[in-house]
Amino acid sequence: MAGKFSRRSMLKAGAAAAGGAALFPIFAGPAQAARERITVRMMRDIQSLDPANRVSYVEGNVMRAVLQGLISFKPGKFEWELDAAKSITQVSPTLIEFELKPGLMFHGGYGEVTAEDVKFSFERYIKPMANGQMAQYAKDWEALKEVEVTGKYTGKIHLKNPAPAIWLVNLPDGSGSILSKAAYEKLGDQATKSLIGSGPYILEKWEPNQRIILKANPEWKGQKVAFNEVILKPVADPKTAELAFRSGELDFTVIEPAAAKEMAKLADTDVISLDSINFVWIGINVSKPPFDNLKVRQAIRLAIDVDRVILAAYNGAVTRAYSLIAPGLLGYWADAPKYKRDIDAAKKLMAEAGHEKGFECKLTLLNRPAFQAAGLVVQAMLANLGIKLNLEVLDGGTFWSAGKGDAGKNLDLSIQRFGGKADPAFQTQWFVSEQVGVWNWQRWASPEFDKLNVAAASTDDANERAKLYIELQKVMDQSAAYIWLTHEVNVFASKKWLRPAILPNGDDLQLGLFREA
Amino acid sequence: MRGVIAQIWGRSTGRLGLILVVLILIMGLGAQVISPYDPNELDILNRFSDPTWIHPMGTDHLGRDLFSRMLYGTQTALLVAVSTIIVSLVVGTLMGIGAAYAPREVERAILILFDIISSFPSLVFALAVVALLGPGLGKVVLIVSITLLPHFGRVARAQVLSLKNAPFLEAERVLGASRARLVLVHIVPNIMGPLVVLASMDIPVVITIEAGLSFLGVGVPPPLASWGTLLNDGYANLTETIWPVAFAGLMLTLATLGFTLFGEALRDAIDPKLKTDR
Repeated sequence: MAGKFSRRSMLKAGAAAAGGAALFPIFAGPAQAARERITVRMMRDIQSLDPANRVSYVEGNVMRAVLQGLISFKPGKFEWELDAAKSITQVSPTLIEFELKPGLMFHGGYGEVTAEDVKFSFERYIKPMANGQMAQYAKDWEALKEVEVTGKYTGKIHLKNPAPAIWLVNLPDGSGSILSKAAYEKLGDQATKSLIGSGPYILEKWEPNQRIILKANPEWKGQKVAFNEVILKPVADPKTAELAFRSGELDFTVIEPAAAKEMAKLADTDVISLDSINFVWIGINVSKPPFDNLKVRQAIRLAIDVDRVILAAYNGAVTRAYSLIAPGLLGYWADAPKYKRDIDAAKKLMAEAGHEKGFECKLTLLNRPAFQAAGLVVQAMLANLGIKLNLEVLDGGTFWSAGKGDAGKNLDLSIQRFGGKADPAFQTQWFVSEQVGVWNWQRWASPEFDKLNVAAASTDDANERAKLYIELQKVMDQSAAYIWLTHEVNVFASKKWLRPAILPNGDDLQLGLFREA
Repeated sequence: MRGVIAQIWGRSTGRLGLILVVLILIMGLGAQVISPYDPNELDILNRFSDPTWIHPMGTDHLGRDLFSRMLYGTQTALLVAVSTIIVSLVVGTLMGIGAAYAPREVERAILILFDIISSFPSLVFALAVVALLGPGLGKVVLIVSITLLPHFGRVARAQVLSLKNAPFLEAERVLGASRARLVLVHIVPNIMGPLVVLASMDIPVVITIEAGLSFLGVGVPPPLASWGTLLNDGYANLTETIWPVAFAGLMLTLATLGFTLFGEALRDAIDPKLKTDR
């Protein structure tokens, strides 16, 4: 299992497996001895193991297996239960008290988990880093005033204002991870590469672009893990991942929705489909001419037939998104405008903007087949407006830095996909002014949006919050900087003997809770 | 010329090679005329169509006519192959002749440069260049041309060295001919035979490199058709339809086979001394 795999080796193995299964169907599904390890696909290699500066759910999935929080999500649910905390109580809208379980030990001999570690871990988000900048996930803990240590295992989390989202976004997830203060003091930056935690697994090895090996933590006092070893392999190409799964190189993988039907025919395979709360959109950089002209952005929005785009990209396996927040979540905007392609109106807007002859620009996108198909359709549709759209197809590592810092000023259009969480505060935080050059690649800075976002995040009344989030999406819509495509559907192929644990957003895996079926 | 063609036609493998090459040339050069559809025209509701009378090779994942894209892909392959061969033939030959006539230090420098270029795996080199400059048709031509320079340079140098002291050149020199005249009028025509054979043998190499780069997404940019991008698109949708992969694979096979057989027959016709036992 440790060897490298290539398309060729997997095609051979796949063909051999298929041939073998056809010749000897009697051997399909023999009784298995208890399995020691599972191999799970990552969409790409991890880039940072610092929870405050993680890139996305890919890093989050590793952290969730290695680190503990005060609370964590129940298996497959956006409901929390106690994790490192023995108790945790919201005393008032701005005060949370906690007590840690005694005897929880950090890996690598870094001692017991204490309230000092909690203080260190959470306050990192509200202090500038060594380079003077704030952490990428600083917005998660924007409401934090301080963590007061009241005893070895006890402390108080003081908030500047009510922040209901922290119970679903921060505390049970990556930004609520408890790090070892001693490890950081001793290892410095290296601590983010070795990831010292107290969770069910230990990060045994990270071989960049090859694999990550997680070993069961012998000192883990929680629910026993089912597998002694979890191997995570970065496989960017979905077809390669499918072949790797067929050949037995992978036990669990995300697959393209279009492949679900074929994969479900495999004898030893379960296909799991989850409606997602993620969001995929075409973003327009409003800071760069000619896109700084609202009429140009509106024209582009009207020239794109989103239904056709998602039909081509996802084979009709997903439904269209009309706004940022997915159905079922607080703040879902049911009456969001449903834009239809109107090329005449689009041409009129282009003429009014002084661009009746069109212009040349580029669409930056990730090298996923679905996004490439979407890009080609958009390219053809914008050609009707005289816009010559060049596709800039990038691999994961390059793509996810394309909009950062000054490089982001050169973006024109981009296809983006962000993961969603159970509370809309997580979804909206990336579009505030402070995120320009970080995750706000549209470089759209709206004081009104910022104000609404703060108000929505710091309101306890659910109805009031819902109204504010809808208002906030209206402001986004007026900017015409966002053309929403879909909230996606997440489809997984899993060996029948495996019972995975996946949170409802479809991105977040609970590797520590994977079990044998 | 007629004699050479007759010799090629006289061999069964040469005949097959010639037929395939002519067929590919017709497909590539006549793409605009033969193609029934715009190769980039989308018909999303008619995706993954099997071959029919309307779409002889079916349609791809965006409903584009595969036959039209295959024809334009042939054009791309020929364009890249011809441009690359011309660039590397001219530059490589000049460098080879220069090395043969240059002082020893310069000659060594040129040979070391050839060794350096040859030591790079062409695909790795291509990926590095594309990472620096970005993908594009021109860059594919540049990359492959550079990787082929040593082929032509070394042969040109060896040919010049064997001719340099030939009696007919000595006689010209005694009569006062300049070095430029010696090279252009006497040497170049005499070394062109082996170089043309080499060029014809390198065409399938160039075609497969271009297809490989495009398959990896670092070759011709979308929506331009290339056999490599057709293979890649087909591969991503293999569970829906096998036709894009089957037809693009077939075209690549026929092109490589055709140009290889043709090149071998041409070599035997032009310079039988170069014939090797196989």
